[in-house]
Amino acid sequence: MRTMSAIVIDNVTFGYDKKSGDVLKSVSLQIEEGEFVCVVGRNGSGKSTLAKTINGLLTPSEGSIKVFGVDTKEESTIFDVRKNVGMVFQNPDNQMVASIVEDDVAFGPENLGIPREEIKARIDWALKAVGMEEYRHGTPNKLSGGQKQRIAIAGVLALKPRVLVLDEATAMLDPRGRREVMDTVRELNKKENITVIHITHYMEECVGADRVVVVDGGEIVMQGRPEEVFSKRSELSTYQLGLPPVMALADMLRERGVEIGVVHKEDELVEELCRLL
Amino acid sequence: MLRDVTFGQYYPKNSFVHRMDARVKILLMILYIVTIFLVQTYSGYIATAFVLITTIVVARIPLKTVLKSVKAVIFLVLFTAILNILFYQGESTTVVFSWWIIKVTDGGLLFAMQMAFRLIFLVMGTSLLTFTTTPVELTDGIESLLSPLKLIRVPVHDIAVIMSITLRFIPILMEETDKIIMAQSSRGADFSSGGIIKRAKALLPVLIPLFISAFRRADELSLAMDSRCYGAPVKRTKHKVRRISVRDIIGSIFYLAYLAFIIVDNSLLLLLI
Repeated sequence: MRTMSAIVIDNVTFGYDKKSGDVLKSVSLQIEEGEFVCVVGRNGSGKSTLAKTINGLLTPSEGSIKVFGVDTKEESTIFDVRKNVGMVFQNPDNQMVASIVEDDVAFGPENLGIPREEIKARIDWALKAVGMEEYRHGTPNKLSGGQKQRIAIAGVLALKPRVLVLDEATAMLDPRGRREVMDTVRELNKKENITVIHITHYMEECVGADRVVVVDGGEIVMQGRPEEVFSKRSELSTYQLGLPPVMALADMLRERGVEIGVVHKEDELVEELCRLL
Repeated sequence: MLRDVTFGQYYPKNSFVHRMDARVKILLMILYIVTIFLVQTYSGYIATAFVLITTIVVARIPLKTVLKSVKAVIFLVLFTAILNILFYQGESTTVVFSWWIIKVTDGGLLFAMQMAFRLIFLVMGTSLLTFTTTPVELTDGIESLLSPLKLIRVPVHDIAVIMSITLRFIPILMEETDKIIMAQSSRGADFSSGGIIKRAKALLPVLIPLFISAFRRADELSLAMDSRCYGAPVKRTKHKVRRISVRDIIGSIFYLAYLAFIIVDNSLLLLLI
């Protein structure tokens, strides 16, 4: 069991209907437990479809997906898969079922018939993990986008998943909300060893990930450590993906003759520039 | 604009009545409605007024606020009162006023007055439930009260989830309506002039985007609910427990005493006749 991969996607092909063709074309991907993987791609590349196949919301027309060894096609074990793979979607408002934060977080465990005392403990833990414990008895209606999305994450965490899939969960948020959500997720990955699959089109969110997977036209076209992927700038641009703004800025400076080293983050760039001054 | 409309009419306070169990309050409200229709005597009306005012005072809700809820039905009250005065003679038929086919009797006047008071007491009493109970508590309470229906396979839990989602999305859709109205107004749509038909037509460009968005939201919500194991084939649990407290017992005794008084009062009336 210990050596089993968290998720094994094996030659998966998927199409919504025959006319529009396949959205995913024999995709294979293996994700280990505890990994932080970013999946990037332009609109319509199939990245979101890929996310929805992982917890069995969509079942592949060909190939198979195994989550900790359980096939997502098997209807009798689908709730084992969903218990293990928490899914956070784009619009935080469209993921909440209750008008009170703790009721919403309790929704998942209640569905699984978990005893009351355990649910209480899970609400405590989940809200603390996303730093929203003070809003427990409040309503999500008055919170900011980032805060709502953190509540949505807490609602998923209450299922005690081993994998967290963020399906463009930062796309609708403002920069501050995005940072809040990313910090929360990174911490969960580090502290709780939760495997994270983050689907996004913001390249800067890939910085610090264990692996970046580039999807285009329903296929995996690039894969590797962030530095590796970012170093292939021209290849990225053929998939209409740019570098993270900080790296793009560093590149532009380099073109103008500023001798700047390789940087990935804002503070690294600042340091490099200070060194030059 | 629309966002200012406070949804529901919950009046936040931390009173004895507010802290009572929602289920008990719902049952007591039903008891109150039934009792009000049993009232036949003046002393019965006085007792009703006493019960009502005591509840309002204990709930610490200003009388003015409660009376506002009567304003909404004042037309209905007046209308039924006028009809009763004009066309109902009652048992006593001393004619007070007569013209053409209309004959106003003192019995009719008395009946009309009784009916009007009954309606006003009814509206005031029932509005107290929504003043002192949040919508969430109400839906929880309804779910709990309906739970015996599970035995005859009524999907009580699904009904509760539907109610909960409705409550959750009312403010969201209100905000959305607001945004669409502003977007359409900024493109020159006119919502405030013309006759009723023209205004209703002008709302069409608001309703269509609203519906499309609502369907899209429903679609996403269903995915999110599936992902959170909704419909798993196990017995669901509930994280909240509601316990009946001394408060609920005191409240129940008070209302049962009221019912008892009305019944005794009515039977005394029968004895006298």
